[in-house]
Amino acid sequence: MADSEIDLLRSSLDLLVLKALSWGPKHGYAINEWIEGATDSVLLLEEGTLYPALHRLERRGWVASEWGVSENNRRAKFYTLTAAGRARFRTQAPVWHRHAEAITAALRRTSANPA
Amino acid sequence: MSLVPGWRRLLRLSLGKRSLERDVDNELAFHLAMREDELRRRGLAPDAARAAARERFGDAGRVRDECVRIDQRHYRATRMREWIESLVADGSYAVRALRRTPAFTTVATITLALGIGATTAMFTLVDGILLRPLPYPDADRLVRVIQSYPEKGLDTWGLSQQNVAMYHDRATGFAAFAGYRAGEVTLRAGDRPERLNVLLVTADFFRVIGVGPVMGRPFTAEEDTPGNNTALILSYGTWQNRFGANPSIIGTVVEVDGKPYHIVGVMPRGFAFPQPDVAAWVPMGLDPLRRFGYLNSGLGRLGPGVTPEHAERQTTAIMWDWARENHTAGSSSVDPSTTQMKTIVRPLHEVVTSRSARPLTVLLAAVTLILLIATANVAMLLSGRAAARQREINLRTALGATAGRVVRQLLTESVVLALLGAVAGVSIAVVAVRIFTHSTLATLPRIDEVRLDGRVLAFTLAVSVASGLAFGLLPALHAVRGQLTGDLIAGQREGTRGPSRRFNDVLVVAQLSMSVVLLIATGLVLKSFQRLTQLDLGFRPEGVTSIALALPSRINDAATLRAFVNTTLEQVRAVPGVQSASLSWALPMENSANYDGYLIEGRPVPPSGNEEQTFQIAVSPQHFKTVGIPLLMGRDFASTDDSTSANVGIVDETLARRFGGGTEALGKRIRVTGDTAWFTIIGVTGAVREQDATMPPKPHLYVSLPQVGGNRLSLAVRANGSAAVITNVRRVVAEIEPSIPLDEVRSLSSVIEGTFATRRLTRILLSGFAVAGLLLAAVGIYGVMSLNVAHRRREFGIRLAVGAEPRTLVKLVLIEGAALAAAGVVLGIAGAVVVTRWITTLLYDVSPTDPVVLRPCRSPSPRSRWRPATSRRAAPHGATH
Repeated sequence: MADSEIDLLRSSLDLLVLKALSWGPKHGYAINEWIEGATDSVLLLEEGTLYPALHRLERRGWVASEWGVSENNRRAKFYTLTAAGRARFRTQAPVWHRHAEAITAALRRTSANPA
Repeated sequence: MSLVPGWRRLLRLSLGKRSLERDVDNELAFHLAMREDELRRRGLAPDAARAAARERFGDAGRVRDECVRIDQRHYRATRMREWIESLVADGSYAVRALRRTPAFTTVATITLALGIGATTAMFTLVDGILLRPLPYPDADRLVRVIQSYPEKGLDTWGLSQQNVAMYHDRATGFAAFAGYRAGEVTLRAGDRPERLNVLLVTADFFRVIGVGPVMGRPFTAEEDTPGNNTALILSYGTWQNRFGANPSIIGTVVEVDGKPYHIVGVMPRGFAFPQPDVAAWVPMGLDPLRRFGYLNSGLGRLGPGVTPEHAERQTTAIMWDWARENHTAGSSSVDPSTTQMKTIVRPLHEVVTSRSARPLTVLLAAVTLILLIATANVAMLLSGRAAARQREINLRTALGATAGRVVRQLLTESVVLALLGAVAGVSIAVVAVRIFTHSTLATLPRIDEVRLDGRVLAFTLAVSVASGLAFGLLPALHAVRGQLTGDLIAGQREGTRGPSRRFNDVLVVAQLSMSVVLLIATGLVLKSFQRLTQLDLGFRPEGVTSIALALPSRINDAATLRAFVNTTLEQVRAVPGVQSASLSWALPMENSANYDGYLIEGRPVPPSGNEEQTFQIAVSPQHFKTVGIPLLMGRDFASTDDSTSANVGIVDETLARRFGGGTEALGKRIRVTGDTAWFTIIGVTGAVREQDATMPPKPHLYVSLPQVGGNRLSLAVRANGSAAVITNVRRVVAEIEPSIPLDEVRSLSSVIEGTFATRRLTRILLSGFAVAGLLLAAVGIYGVMSLNVAHRRREFGIRLAVGAEPRTLVKLVLIEGAALAAAGVVLGIAGAVVVTRWITTLLYDVSPTDPVVLRPCRSPSPRSRWRPATSRRAAPHGATH
């Protein structure tokens, strides 16, 4: 709960990763491509920031990693969603939406009074 | 990717830090390579593609470091968790395995319980008595100060009140200094008079010890002056038991030795100094001018940074100055370069514990041997068991367990076993310690501080785990090594002397030798003790009872004393069952005689202070007959030898030798240096041993009680042994003089036994340990022999089949057993030789280096109040603190 309230950006990234993995294992590059694609290139990350996020998610037990072979025969580290990760996504995604809606509403205000 | 992912991860994680970093590098490199590829496909030149890829990526170095950091933390946490999990798994597996073989587990647990229990109990004693600091604040700064005058034959010598005052005033090395001595008083609060052991202390005592009364206040300086010392501070126990924990006790007036005393304080619960039998503290009433009466000890609290050695040098210098200022005419003044006169400043802890240190250490060593023997037994049991489980171990190895893992599993089993034994052992120890501290054997100092607490439990835990590892390690290693020879059924092939057989043999020999060491040591101690008890003490204590009489103040001159003595003896002798009775200052071994220099008439007078010393005891007629001292020559005192007739004395053989023999002594005159009266020698008795029976007898001079006086006497009664006789005697005395408390009644034999108490304790415990060790070793031998035979069943079967006689096989086994036994005995004797040297001081443990005053029984006070010409330098030759 704490990071979703403190570090909105980081939690957003985490949720995106979890979502990306919900269709099956991917390596880090593929996750990056999916995020760029799914956000319609609106979200262009500095690509490196993905990897600490991935390692942190692994430490929390929400994703698991394994070395495998990529589609072009290179050795790559693949990430999969764990059951705990799936549950985490299910609980945190609505929270994120609620926060986003609240912030959107606040940013749309036309008057200074919080009536 | 399909296999148990965690397993793989574990495998990777267990590869160490460097591969962790390599992983991260590879992962990031992959990403960069993919990006580079994609950009090149879009049409960028290779260099541009690479640069662009890196730019899109961001700070690769920082990313890499962060990922490595996250992974390392993860790695560590996972490893720790998994290690604990596998340990728990091992533990529960061990418990299951032990449960499957209840016979083995029970035997091993009992063996360990005995070994660990005994060790724990012994360590409880050692910790409480020797290791723990004394229960006073900053107790390591407390020292005891006494004096030493070797030229006079006084290795330990007390302080006079003048000495106490001068050290108090001049010794700057002490932050605080006080003097003290033991005493006895008659307390009368209510109707019944009662004897109390008290400690007389100077006013600074409570400041030195760092503990003050919990009710009331300490003594004031005015109360510590002669004549004004009528204040009393009670111990907590006395306040509870004798005064019913009366909350308004402060200010109450009680009668002490016939005078009114005010109770001004109560000490906190549990406070005791020097021993718990001190019921109250009274001010000494310090007279700084009192030169004689070297009965006191000093208690000092060292100043910051001051060592006992420094304090000793300083007080010795003060002592020399004092001697120079006060030397009497005719005596040589003190020459610091030749005199051996000095003070002795020792830490209080050492003073209290030194006498018990050696016996306790020996006992602890003995109990450690027991533990080792028990451990060896269990090791053998385990190796036998490991052999039986060889198949299981081989299977596990084949399935992929490393040797280290298997060893860890086996060790966990042994540690679990050891802990089981420890739990049982601690229960045994708790009971044993409780029984011991409440028994009559518990005559050790600080016995009340002995308790089985966290420190001891921590020690027990450490010992158990160590034992578990010790007896488990070798069998575990053997089991694993046996597997490495490759053959899955190797462990079941017997016949040759495999490593496990040799191991068992070594264990048995070790056990036997330790047992032998224990036995020999015990035998020596027993023999020495027997010799001690068979020593001719010079008198016959059997059947003699001693009753302490503190005479009331109304008996204060020769006439009243003589009347009292005559009446009492007459009536006591008339009691049926009494064979003889006498009154004296002290019975042998009672530690209340005078010890003074003496002079023989006609001989050149040695320089003052250099006279030889003798015991001086005033006795009534028939004293020697009552106590059983043979009268060799001359005559006993008679009732006519009183203050109206010539002064007479009787010497013992030791003193008579100074005259040149008994016949030479008769008729000569002798006096003590503290007195002016000459005594004519009328008889010679046999020698008598005092205090420490291992020392040669010291000279004794007996004088007639009515001629010399006294106010604390011992009534000796030789009777036929029934308690009724003594009860009647007490009744008779009470009728004659009701104000005398008659609580202190002891048989002389028990007094003597009391001096042997520590030795007796050592003897009993050591014997117990030796027997236990022998039993354990016997079990060990039997075990190993039967294991050996069981292993060689096939071999024996074959031998029998090819025609050997059963007799031959039996002989074979017996010879092997005998060889082991012989090796064990030889090693044991060698070990015993080494150990004996160490024990020797225990056997001839002697006490003269011990402090002067203190058993609070009958310290002599001014004995002859009606002989103002006398000024005695009295210093009882005491032994215990």
